[in-house]
Amino acid sequence: MQLLSLALKNVLRYRHRTWVTVLAMAFAGAIMIFYAGLFEGWMGAMETNAVSMEMGEMQIHAQGYRDDPDLYTVIPDYRRVIRQAENSGLIASPRLLGGGLAAAHENSTGVSIRGIDPRAEEQVVLLQNHVFSGSWLSATDAKQVVLGYQLARILDVRPGSEIVLVAQAADGSMANDLFTVQGVLKSVGQGIDRGGLIMGDRDFREFFALPEGVHEIVMKRADNGVLLEQATKKIAELVPDLEVNSWRELQPTLARLLDLSDVSMIIMLLIIYAAVGMLTMNAMLMGVFERIPVFGVMKAVGFSGCRLFGLIFSETLLLVTMAAVLSLALGVPLSYYFERHPIDFSFLLPESSTIAGIAFEPQWYCRVTAGSVVMPVVFLYIVALLAVLYPAWKAAVISPVKAIHHI
Amino acid sequence: MMDAEYIARLDRVSRVYYQGRVEVRAVDNLDLLIRPGEFSALSGPSGSGKTTILNMIGALDMPTSGTVYLEGRDLTRLGRGELSRLRRDRVGFVFQAYNLVPVLTAYENAEFVLALQNVPVQERRDRVMAVLEEVGMAGYVNRRPDELSGGQQQRIAIARAVVSDPAIVLADEPTANVDLEAANTILDLMEDLNARKGVTFLFSTHDRLVMDRARRLVKLRDGRLEDDNQAA
Repeated sequence: MQLLSLALKNVLRYRHRTWVTVLAMAFAGAIMIFYAGLFEGWMGAMETNAVSMEMGEMQIHAQGYRDDPDLYTVIPDYRRVIRQAENSGLIASPRLLGGGLAAAHENSTGVSIRGIDPRAEEQVVLLQNHVFSGSWLSATDAKQVVLGYQLARILDVRPGSEIVLVAQAADGSMANDLFTVQGVLKSVGQGIDRGGLIMGDRDFREFFALPEGVHEIVMKRADNGVLLEQATKKIAELVPDLEVNSWRELQPTLARLLDLSDVSMIIMLLIIYAAVGMLTMNAMLMGVFERIPVFGVMKAVGFSGCRLFGLIFSETLLLVTMAAVLSLALGVPLSYYFERHPIDFSFLLPESSTIAGIAFEPQWYCRVTAGSVVMPVVFLYIVALLAVLYPAWKAAVISPVKAIHHI
Repeated sequence: MMDAEYIARLDRVSRVYYQGRVEVRAVDNLDLLIRPGEFSALSGPSGSGKTTILNMIGALDMPTSGTVYLEGRDLTRLGRGELSRLRRDRVGFVFQAYNLVPVLTAYENAEFVLALQNVPVQERRDRVMAVLEEVGMAGYVNRRPDELSGGQQQRIAIARAVVSDPAIVLADEPTANVDLEAANTILDLMEDLNARKGVTFLFSTHDRLVMDRARRLVKLRDGRLEDDNQAA
């Protein structure tokens, strides 16, 4: 007699126990699929906000610039570098970086000034999609700036307001000019929030009297199938005189955090499934104990201990398969729903906020990935099948004589 | 002594249990021979060792000392797997409480041992139906144990015990849980199988009805042989 067939009969026969066990496992599985989706969504948002928002996947600087940022330390022949990057399957955007003082009304504060080519920048990062009020820069605008959220509050300005910028120009003169606020960004990261001021590259060059060179080239892969490390290495070989870093090198803490995210999820899975494992073990132990006389008879007529072990194992395999199907049927649609309809925390955080310098929207999206679906189900199988080892072993070593007369 | 003359043989067998620190000598230095085709009963008060003897002959239990042979094989020298196969192939069991597998139908219960033996499906079907016919249960093949009376369950248990043509059928108080009419039916059935097919039966019983119909009655007391009406 096939073990699975007998196991199926047992599973169907002891309906109450079957449903209690299956529903408990399925509930835990569905919760974990949903949780894994939320977790993926959270980590994805963190990566997007930190990398895609404004840092880019890779950056190029002149040697020494990152250690000692200086207006004069530029990449002189940046157009050639951008061409090389584009020929290597990258999309690149040049940036000019400087510092100064911004003032409006009675308020003033230090700012980090960024000069960009709006069209190129849009190809590489997503900052333009996170305007809180007003609008993003256009290639034709002159003397317009976009400010970080907190900076706008500090200066008490809004779109249309005028601000005065003062800085030391590259020619040693004191640069100062009047700019109009074009837009205010949402909270996208601590640096930009508190001191970020973005303008067109032409305005930057004019303001700082810096006719040539750029301070930074941000890049991303045109094809995400290419490994980040591989793409970084390739461009680094093409520009050996410049400093090329991937975002993982630029933000090692974040990279480690993301790497550890899988570990965190596994730990969470283990905690929840430990409870499921206990429940499964308890249910299967009860299932073994209440059938001891039957097992005794089966062993007496020649059903070996190994087969009995296999029978209990098969029963659990069936139970966990039913639970897995149910948990997928519950968890995946739930996750997909929250992928399209995020959990909205805006009643707690009206605007996006930053955690550890990384911005988060008040909407928390689920992200359904193969990992977020498969990993909880695989864990469900592993935990349930591990939990049943003891009951199965108990059944396998039952003495038929004692079992038959068991009350 | 030729092993072929005996299905089972107990040589100076003792079986000692411990209940806490108290030693219980269930079987005490017992010699016993069971011949092919016998229809025998072990009788005696509770604790006289009847069931223990059945368990040892059926390879469910091992003696503390002495040797148990089944068809010439020394059971004390066999491993767990071999004992399990021996029970499957050469011993039929009928228990007091029927002990059918509750999730299986009458047919599947009767088929159980043949399935374990990997007998081909068609042959299995023929043999199971034949034996169910013999025990008068051919019309109940799809009933589960909880849909059968005690007597009917015991008949299915007998079918399961004899379907694989075992060397011996060991029946532990087979009539204890059924009424007189069912007990007579069961004994008629066993007698018939014994007479027509030469199936060897060994009972343990308290039941006067079984003792009266057994052709050999072995009386036990305190694990020792008190009387054997066919002792050689």
